[in-house]
Amino acid sequence: MQQDYVYPSIYFSYFLFALLAGGALYFFVRSLKHGYLSHDSEEPKYRMMHDEEGSSHE
Amino acid sequence: MPEETSNLAARRAAAGDSTAVVHADTTAKWFLISSIAYFFIVGIIAVTIAAKFVWPSLLGSVQYLTYGRLRPLHVNGMLFGWLLAADMGLTFFMIPRLCGVKLWSEKLGVATAALWNVIILSAVVCLLLGINQGLEYAELPLALDVLVVIAWIMFGANIFMTVASRKYDQMYVSIWYIMGTILWTAFVYLTGNFAVLFATGTNQANLNWMYVHNAVGLIFTPVGLAIAYYFIQKSSNMPLHSHKLSMIGFWALAFVYVWTGAHHMLHGPISQWLQTIAIAFSVMLLIPVWAVVYNFFATMKGQWHQLKDNVPLKFLMSGVVFYLLTCFQGPMHSLRSVNAIVSKTDWIPGHAHMAVLGAFSFFAIAGTYYMIPRVYKTRLFSDALGNWSFWMLMMGGLGFFVTLWLGGFWQGWQWNNPAIPFIDTVVALKPVWIVRFFSGILMFVGIVLFAYNIMATILGAKDRPEAAAA
Repeated sequence: MQQDYVYPSIYFSYFLFALLAGGALYFFVRSLKHGYLSHDSEEPKYRMMHDEEGSSHE
Repeated sequence: MPEETSNLAARRAAAGDSTAVVHADTTAKWFLISSIAYFFIVGIIAVTIAAKFVWPSLLGSVQYLTYGRLRPLHVNGMLFGWLLAADMGLTFFMIPRLCGVKLWSEKLGVATAALWNVIILSAVVCLLLGINQGLEYAELPLALDVLVVIAWIMFGANIFMTVASRKYDQMYVSIWYIMGTILWTAFVYLTGNFAVLFATGTNQANLNWMYVHNAVGLIFTPVGLAIAYYFIQKSSNMPLHSHKLSMIGFWALAFVYVWTGAHHMLHGPISQWLQTIAIAFSVMLLIPVWAVVYNFFATMKGQWHQLKDNVPLKFLMSGVVFYLLTCFQGPMHSLRSVNAIVSKTDWIPGHAHMAVLGAFSFFAIAGTYYMIPRVYKTRLFSDALGNWSFWMLMMGGLGFFVTLWLGGFWQGWQWNNPAIPFIDTVVALKPVWIVRFFSGILMFVGIVLFAYNIMATILGAKDRPEAAAA
């Protein structure tokens, strides 16, 4: 009798969905703790304006 | 000037680091140069396919050149040979700079680029030979899928190790989007190329469409936005309107996008609740999209005059407008009443090309125009040629998108009338496909000018040293 993998494959995909949703939630909370949505969250945009002066041709 | 801008110099100095890091950029160059070659080659395939719509007997019955062989080659070539490779090259340029450190391993990066080229060249051979899994966007045979996974692990490890060794605590939004791209791609690709093989019938179709939609939404969208967030600031020399808003957009995309794929199955044999969830999340996509687009427009406030002379910025801001339009179309398509007309019609390739070419390829072209002169310490070969490449791609793209929307809408109305024989609806679209062909020619000319400009910049770099630049 041929094995039916339809539901295991769908459960696998749901597992990946859950893993991603859980991961996103975890890192979202961590980003809040690190101040990404606070008053100090604008600093990276100024820093990146002068980040490439050391580029060289090899 | 706004207060924010007047304080810019001081804040830049405070945020900056006096120690310059020397970047090799070898990996970035490898990826960019090969991706541009594929852009040109696959562009020829694209024009050939468009010609076959008008002259179906073109190229006779040579099996390697039939529509069924060339179409997957065009799709995979543009998605993975051109766009994703260019995006990876630009990522290798951006990440070390954003982190203030060298790339973790330039050797691993070059090996990744070499493996990627092996995958793409093998894909060309397989698809022309008709070795094809028969799944949309997942046509590559299993062995190449495994190689893609290996290449992606190499890419991801290099980027994550670089980010882990960064100088600064808080990361710019582009880093968030790139890390998201790497993780989401792993999930999307595994589902769409491996899990899908074990499912059958409707379940397989549902998984496949989840993959297809997320290939655009969770691979090309986040890395495309990472590029836009980086190069709009760099090209305009203006700070982003709000980094906080950019983070809100990122998290909104992270929580919303993954559930939208089933809107490709509306009116199909899947559960109504699943269709409704896909519709609801598709409409919610307007939140991250508008957050992103508002941020870019607000960044450009008072700076629109820069578009006159700034080739990268022309591509970037046109790409933002196309991104807004395509992401307005998407949620509208997902409404049952609209979907009943446009689904499966020529409207859809019009929509898809606006996303992949109009938005994300424009971002990648802009990044290339910005990056190549800098990493080769030279100036662009020709700004005039850059402008011509923009206008050719813009005019060709608009002709292509608009014609297919109109034709597709017309086609949908015809299909909804059972009194019209199907073959009549095919014949009726011939004028649309003629315009599509000539629009394709314009786009291809744009690709040729872009590729020539970049190659001439690289080959003549020593004759035009950067120091001589104005």
